[in-house]
Amino acid sequence: MSNLDKKLLFSMSVAPFWHCGRTIRGNSIHTSIALIAVLAMAVWHWGISVLGVVGLSALFSMLTEEFWNKIMGRHSTLNDGTAFVSGILLACLLPANAPFWLVILGAFCAITFGKMAFGGYGANPVSTVCVGWAMIFISFPIYMDPNAMLLQTDFIDPLVRLKYFGPDFMVNSISFTDLLLGRQIGGLGTVQNLGIILGGIYLIAKGVIRMEIVVFFVIGVLLLGGILNICNPELYVNPFYHLLTGSTLFCAFFLATENASAPDRAIGMRLYGLAGGMLVVLIRTYGIYTDGAPFAIMLINLLSPYFAMIQPKPFGVKQ
Amino acid sequence: MRQRFQILSDPRFRLVYNETRSFIEGPDPKNVRLNRENFTLVDGVKKKTKVYPGMLLATHPSEKKGDLHSPMYGEITEINYRSIFIDAVDPEGIEGQVEPVDVLAEGKEGDELILQMKQMGVNTKSLAQEVDTLIINGLNPDPGVTWAEPMLTQNGQNLHAGIELHKRLAKAKNILLAVPKGMHVSYDNIDVVYVEPEYPKSVNALLIKEVTGKENPEGVGAVGLHNIWSLGRVGVTGLPLMETVITIGSQTKWGNYIVKNGMWIGQLLDYSGIDLRAGDTVLRGGPLRGECLDRLDRSITKGTTGLFVVESGTVPPMEGHSPCVNCGACVQVCPAHLNPSTLSRYAEFANYQACLAEHSPSCLECGLCGYVCIARRPVLQYIRLANAKIKEMQKSAVENNE
Repeated sequence: MSNLDKKLLFSMSVAPFWHCGRTIRGNSIHTSIALIAVLAMAVWHWGISVLGVVGLSALFSMLTEEFWNKIMGRHSTLNDGTAFVSGILLACLLPANAPFWLVILGAFCAITFGKMAFGGYGANPVSTVCVGWAMIFISFPIYMDPNAMLLQTDFIDPLVRLKYFGPDFMVNSISFTDLLLGRQIGGLGTVQNLGIILGGIYLIAKGVIRMEIVVFFVIGVLLLGGILNICNPELYVNPFYHLLTGSTLFCAFFLATENASAPDRAIGMRLYGLAGGMLVVLIRTYGIYTDGAPFAIMLINLLSPYFAMIQPKPFGVKQ
Repeated sequence: MRQRFQILSDPRFRLVYNETRSFIEGPDPKNVRLNRENFTLVDGVKKKTKVYPGMLLATHPSEKKGDLHSPMYGEITEINYRSIFIDAVDPEGIEGQVEPVDVLAEGKEGDELILQMKQMGVNTKSLAQEVDTLIINGLNPDPGVTWAEPMLTQNGQNLHAGIELHKRLAKAKNILLAVPKGMHVSYDNIDVVYVEPEYPKSVNALLIKEVTGKENPEGVGAVGLHNIWSLGRVGVTGLPLMETVITIGSQTKWGNYIVKNGMWIGQLLDYSGIDLRAGDTVLRGGPLRGECLDRLDRSITKGTTGLFVVESGTVPPMEGHSPCVNCGACVQVCPAHLNPSTLSRYAEFANYQACLAEHSPSCLECGLCGYVCIARRPVLQYIRLANAKIKEMQKSAVENNE
């Protein structure tokens, strides 16, 4: 049958008519897939109950988003999956046996103050997850301290040992293999380093996150940690321990790369990553917190507009 | 490298497709619709006039815009302010025909040749630019358009004639032919330069930068290979220009056709075996820079580079109320180093002054920003809107000063 006889209606659109196929929803799905390995390792170490924390966090993130969209009279944005992903990421920062009210409060704060208050996904200047985490971390330090919460375990918290007993004691009590496999105390998802690396590589391959940020974040940690370590090995630990403890790698792969709050040009991204990595070491070494990577993320998020100001001149414009 | 790996991983952005098939002669048109905006009709051309191939229908007042000829035997069914409609009829009984002219042997040069080519239907504006160096853009203009390779490597007579005629009429001192790196071509009558065939390098401004190393240098221009082909076609046939080469492509079917000007796209799609379904998008030009069409009685115009069908469901739909999420993909791919996300938001809220301050007129309109947008915003369209408004503002400012 001739096309002319069919009386078809066509879709009208504007150039370009081809598309790379990536969408916000697609990116959320990829991130969720990348987190499967992390969550599987968390279940392996802490039991199936962690899924309760994760599920609760994801559920209340989505409910909070829907609630605010309703209040503000806007379209539902649940379909893009970003609230779901934020919920899982937030849960990864919590202790494995976090009480339910803490999870709900965290999810509510994250979505309300880290996302919807600024207008929704992509409009927030600071990582949604970190905002929620910081609010409950500052308010309920005991409940948020995995070392205090997880008493019935043989694992140790390397960062506590590092802070209060010094590098030698910490290095002697835990091996790199344990660190890599997540056999340590920390946030339920943030210490599952192997899973994080696998998931992160998947995200880079899928073009969801920008490799430069991750690479330079790691370089930042190794650089400053390395300099300190060379200056005084008795006081400052081998920087690879910084990398594999606490939430460093998790922040490098999943939080620092949150698109909206990171710069997007080559030099900016590198400086941003570098600054983040260095801040992690600085906060851990001189600050009062044992970890501190999420704080580092929030600080570089705030610096990001300045990094974004470094830009090349437009095509053909003479200066 | 990073770009290819992460963002522009589509292999079609490499503008070399190893296309070796020759051009397919298109069908004889059943109906034709010729654009006549700004043209002056020749005396005697009116409804029910019988026409023959090559018959002059309308002239254009500009010296550099080709006149309009009938591409076939037919009868004019309607003339409105935009178009001339012709239906094919039996050639029996139609008086008149056009005698071929051996343009090459006549040996005309310069303005004389430009005028002759205009009268034979060729647009000479870009061919006869007043520049020192003119680069013939031998890359496929858009991803998906595949006629450049066969045009360069096959049917050498046509290209040879085109280059020769162009040399005679061109005002440029130097003429270079830019072809994809790795392609082996040799023409005795032109210097060849090699460029990386990676979209968006086929955009004229970027091609010039690739060849000269400078952004918008003075006295350098570019002209499409398509125009040279048209010139060669006139040189070889000796008849007014009545055809154009287009790529007709869908997800599964692909081919290059020589088609008559004014052909209905519906007939062409039938001819190339593309079966349309409701919700598909039909577009004229390249898939990144073209325009979409609403009806199948729209036609192929002179200089059209392609006719494509984007099947419904193969690209995520554009929803229309999607805010920018600052993902930065457009910033990373923009070859003009602009900030398309910011520009699109300024344009969305009609702040055209801010667009101007952010250099939106530097936009090269390659379309990559919209291609990578994860929120499916019409980024390029917003920038085009801003630039059109800026032009309007500047024009009215000049008028007010006078």
